[in-house]
Amino acid sequence: MAFHSYKGGTGKTSIVVNLGALYAKQGANVCLLDYDFRAPSLNVLFKAKPEHWLNDYLEGNCEIVDTLIDQSQRFHLPGKLWVGFSNPSLEALKDIMSKDRKWEVKALTKTLAGKKKIIDEKKVDYLIFDTSPGAQYSSINALAGADLVSLVMKADEFDLEGTKELSKGVYDALGRKSGVVLNKIPLEQIAAGGGAEKFGKQVESDVGLPLVGMIPCMCELMAIGGKLIYAIEKPEHAFTKSIAEIAEKFKKM
Amino acid sequence: MVAKKLDRLIEVQRSAGGSVVRPSVFVPENLPLDVTTLLGLPDHLRKSALALATLGEGTATDLSKDTGRVRAVESDYLNQLVSMGLVKKKRKGRDVYFYIET
Repeated sequence: MAFHSYKGGTGKTSIVVNLGALYAKQGANVCLLDYDFRAPSLNVLFKAKPEHWLNDYLEGNCEIVDTLIDQSQRFHLPGKLWVGFSNPSLEALKDIMSKDRKWEVKALTKTLAGKKKIIDEKKVDYLIFDTSPGAQYSSINALAGADLVSLVMKADEFDLEGTKELSKGVYDALGRKSGVVLNKIPLEQIAAGGGAEKFGKQVESDVGLPLVGMIPCMCELMAIGGKLIYAIEKPEHAFTKSIAEIAEKFKKM
Repeated sequence: MVAKKLDRLIEVQRSAGGSVVRPSVFVPENLPLDVTTLLGLPDHLRKSALALATLGEGTATDLSKDTGRVRAVESDYLNQLVSMGLVKKKRKGRDVYFYIET
C-alpha cells in the first residue's frame, strides 16, 4: 500500500503508523517505509537511530533489509512491525533535492526490487509506504511500487481540486487500485445532517475513487499524535476505531 | 479498453502477414525512464515499461507473463520502447533480454 496526498498535513503518517500497528497487533507481519524523504518523521515517532537509512539503500550502499528495524518487541505486538527510516539530516535533504532524472530511474527500479525483497525475505503481509505530498519523484516511485494507493485528504475544496488532478494524472495512469480516506473532518460536519456524508459522496463522484474511510478531526491527535501510537496504547479511542474500520476495508480491496 | 483494442489490432495484422501500424507516441526520444516519462507514455507501453522496471530484465516471454499479453505483442511494445531509447536490449545465446539502463 502507499499513502499519498495532494497537500501536506493531511495525516498520512498518523494513519500509516496506526494502520501498520493495528495489523501487527492482529498478528500480521508489517513493514512501514518512510518515503517522505523531504520531511522524514517516522524516526521521531519510533525514536530510531538506524545504522542504515533508506537513502543509503537507494544510493546502493546497503540492502533494503539492512534498513529495517523491528519494533514489535518494544510494543509487545504478536506480528512483526519492521520500519525503514529516511534520513532527516539537512545534508541528506539537500542531497535528495539535487538528484537528476537518471538517479530517479535507479530509485524507481530499486524501489520495485526492494518491495519484492522485503516481501520474500521478511514474509511481510502488509508493506506500507508513507510518501511526500504532491507529485514528488519519491512519492510516485512508491505509488508505482504499490498495489493499492490510498489518497488521504482533508474535507476542503483546495484538497478536492488537487486530488482530482492527481487521480487523473497519476493514479489512473499507474492503474493501481485506489481509495480515498477523508481525514480531519470537523465534528459539526460528522453530526447527522452536518454535510460530511454529502461531501464524501461528492468526493467519490468528483475524484472517481471509492471512499474508504472518514476520520473526525481530533485536537488531541495534533497535540500528542506524534508521541504515541493510538492503535497500541488507546485501543478504545475513536481514532483507533476509525483506523480499524479502514483496515477492514483495505483487506477487502 | 483502447490498449486491448490495440493489442487485438496488432495481433490480427500480424496473423494476416500485414505490417504493424504503430500508434502515434508523442514522447521525445532518449529520455531516462523515470516516473515522469513513465506517466507520459500511452497505457499499453507504460504497462510494459512498468513490468520491466519491476522485473529488472527479461525476455518478451517473461514480460508477457506479467502483462497478460501474447508474446508477439509484448515483443513489439518492448521494441517500441527500445526505438524510443527508453529501454535497452541484449542477446544472451538465442534469447533477447530487455532491460532499463540505470
